Amino acid sequence: MIADFADPRDLDALLGRIQFRPRASLEGEVAGRWARGDRPTPNPTPVRSRLVWLGVMLLLLGAVLYLMQSQLGLARVRTVDRCCEDFDGGGDRDDGMLVVSRRGSDVQRLAIYEDLDGSRSYTAGDALRFDRTGRPSLQQPFTAGMRTFELCCRDYDGGGPADDAVVIMALPPDRIAMAAIYERLPGAEDRSLR
Amino acid sequence: MPDSRIHSSAPAAAPAGKQSRARAWYETYGQAVYSYVRFHVASADEADDVTAETFLKVLAAEERFDPDRGEARVWIFRIAQNTLRDHHRRSRVRRHTSLGAMRDLVADAPTAEERLLWEEEVSRLLSAVGELGARDREIIGLRYGSGMDTSAVAQILGVRESAVRTRLWRALGRLRVLLEDDTA
Repeated sequence: MIADFADPRDLDALLGRIQFRPRASLEGEVAGRWARGDRPTPNPTPVRSRLVWLGVMLLLLGAVLYLMQSQLGLARVRTVDRCCEDFDGGGDRDDGMLVVSRRGSDVQRLAIYEDLDGSRSYTAGDALRFDRTGRPSLQQPFTAGMRTFELCCRDYDGGGPADDAVVIMALPPDRIAMAAIYERLPGAEDRSLR
Repeated sequence: MPDSRIHSSAPAAAPAGKQSRARAWYETYGQAVYSYVRFHVASADEADDVTAETFLKVLAAEERFDPDRGEARVWIFRIAQNTLRDHHRRSRVRRHTSLGAMRDLVADAPTAEERLLWEEEVSRLLSAVGELGARDREIIGLRYGSGMDTSAVAQILGVRESAVRTRLWRALGRLRVLLEDDTA
């Protein structure tokens, strides 16, 4: 009886006495099963392998979706350089506007420059009059003589249709306190400043 | 003590033909594989199934067995280990050992009563083995089930013999604690 195993050697001896004998017919059964065409059962797919496989499939699906999205231009960051208009209220159509946007709507950066070198695009020789990232805000205190005006309608954000207006608060001839764009055309749902 | 009568080579002298080879493989390793499996399953019937499946796999794969790359014994016991693992994965059977499942236990008992006592003792032992962790169960099954010495067990597990002795000793220690808890 199992009573006391203070010494593991007793357990070793007891386990060593255990012997099992398969039934005598098992040998013939194995040969017979083979002769009848019985073959080993295919290994079941382990849960871990299935999870790894599922993970790989999800990654592939993600990659395909990302590529499709990129192809459709949904995730692309666009930079639009519009020149030349009177963005600072100075009277001359010598200003350009740079808009960096994502998905054709989310404005990440908006800058207004004076096209000093007449290249009709932003170059190192131009003067930057206004530059912002993020949401529109006043960059200078409101002062007497400041003008607010709107220019419409062009595709300022690279979204496609010429449905954008630009709203500018400026102190002529060349100081700009705020600039933002919004969808202007009738039917456009989003009229928030961007 | 476990015997170490297992041959460590393929039955090269066996006559050709799959059925004959099946018998040759089985004659050489059948008892050891069965007894090893028996330490891991609750009944003789389950051990029959797993053993038969092991030898079907051996027959299916024997052309790929290269004696230069390792001993047949190591190769066969690795197949048995995998087959056992698959069996547990498929069946997800809770381990328990009932007395009626001990028909395959060898007993040198002169009386029926002594045989029953021996069956009960082995049943409790194997139930306790079943409560051990997988590594402990594996090493106990290989050492006492198959009857291999620690050197052969080390070959199958791919570790040094000293590591086998240490692991075995610790496994026996944990088994002892389980049995004492059970008795208490």
